[in-house]
Amino acid sequence: MDFWQRMDKLDRRWIYLAVGIAVVIPFLAPLPLPISITPEARSLYEAVEALPDGSNVMLVYDYYPSTIAECEPIAVAALHHLFRKNCKIITLSNIPLGGPSMAESVTRMMAAQYGKDYGVDYVNLGYKYGYVAVLSGMGTSIESIFPTDNNGTPLSELPLMDSVKNYRDIAFVFEVADNATADYWVSIVNAQYGVPMGCGGTAVMAPKFYAYVASGQFVGLLGGMRGAAEYEILIDKPAVAVKGMRAQSLVHLLIIALVLLGNVGHFMSRGRKRQAQA
Amino acid sequence: MSGMEIFQIWLVAFLTLALFSFMYRDNPIYKVAEHIFAGLTAGYQVGLIWHTIILQRLWDPMIGGRWWLFVPGLLGILMFSRFSSKLSWVSRTSLAFVMGSIAGIFIISELHGRVLPQMQATMLPLWNSGGLGQTLLSVIVVVGVLSTLVYFYFSHEHKGALGVTARVGIWFIMVAFGAHFGYTVMGRVSLLIGRVQFLIEDWLGSFL
Repeated sequence: MDFWQRMDKLDRRWIYLAVGIAVVIPFLAPLPLPISITPEARSLYEAVEALPDGSNVMLVYDYYPSTIAECEPIAVAALHHLFRKNCKIITLSNIPLGGPSMAESVTRMMAAQYGKDYGVDYVNLGYKYGYVAVLSGMGTSIESIFPTDNNGTPLSELPLMDSVKNYRDIAFVFEVADNATADYWVSIVNAQYGVPMGCGGTAVMAPKFYAYVASGQFVGLLGGMRGAAEYEILIDKPAVAVKGMRAQSLVHLLIIALVLLGNVGHFMSRGRKRQAQA
Repeated sequence: MSGMEIFQIWLVAFLTLALFSFMYRDNPIYKVAEHIFAGLTAGYQVGLIWHTIILQRLWDPMIGGRWWLFVPGLLGILMFSRFSSKLSWVSRTSLAFVMGSIAGIFIISELHGRVLPQMQATMLPLWNSGGLGQTLLSVIVVVGVLSTLVYFYFSHEHKGALGVTARVGIWFIMVAFGAHFGYTVMGRVSLLIGRVQFLIEDWLGSFL
């Protein structure tokens, strides 16, 4: 059995092991791999940067705990940028499983770093079932949809919500999503109420979201861990995503090598079969 | 780090490794982790719907004076008639209401919010003042959209000019699939990186 035949019958667990090693190496011995900034990430950064200090911004945690590795660094980077600009942040989630609690823990952790007070500088509205009704209803009155915040405090008792009644009082929506709820933010909130939006999504969703950047419905886009790393660099706070991208790059090199190897092997064995038939 | 935090980290690490063990082969530890996940998800969902919908949106406002909420409540209860073969027809009333209202909401929002803006974004001038690069991109978008639409036009046989255009459309579709697949690989690797990062920094870090 020659090399190519052996490769053809290679147990896939060896590939899992190779990918595992490629992920671990950069954490033990950091590799200096460069990360360039895409125009989509830069335009999102510039749109947030252009907001007047103290603007009201909705930060939407529309992701499940399974995609924390991609989405949480985006949310953290966005919070760094928004809190640095003293923006007032209203968080909410259309994801029942984990969305409101992730919004709560991540925002509180970041608010503590910047000395921000709950109810004055930020509010977590939590989750309400039925995102179409929720997104449409907030156009008329946020309080009619969320009578209380995530902890059951009436919105009337939160000073920030005195000046935020509906989308007219929101300067920007920063959506962090791993699913199609972003489509409804576009078709309802952006299209019907004209609120500018930017999005940080999982890599799986990113190709679809590019269409919204091209049409101007998103001012910018962060695609997966790569997008999070770009934003971390733009705000000058390199963190978990930048670290993760080193592993990402190494695994990509491995996958490219495996794809090339697989194709060469395929053509070699096809050529051998033809020779045998002749 | 408190004892509870260490316990949480060990529990998460155990469940992560238990699920990863499937990569070697199916085994009882993997099954335990899988069943815990399925059970927790179902339980959490039931509790959440009970509190955020049944109590907050229906029961509490209804007993607080908004008696007309009895109507959507009744429509919801009618859905349970599907469990009976004799009475299942009753649920069609609720389904008709849901379909009618959802269609009404979505037709407007989809047309106004997605179809028209996306069509508008495709109607590009072939000569762009932004330079040769921008012009080339505009041409690619226009050719890509038109040829892909032609590929999905099945009222005539794909022969001659129609066939050539459809074949160009297939190339664009293949490139789109490649981009989606590449991004999907990146996404899945990111999730693995997140878990490995947790295992190295939080779990192994808890030993130090």
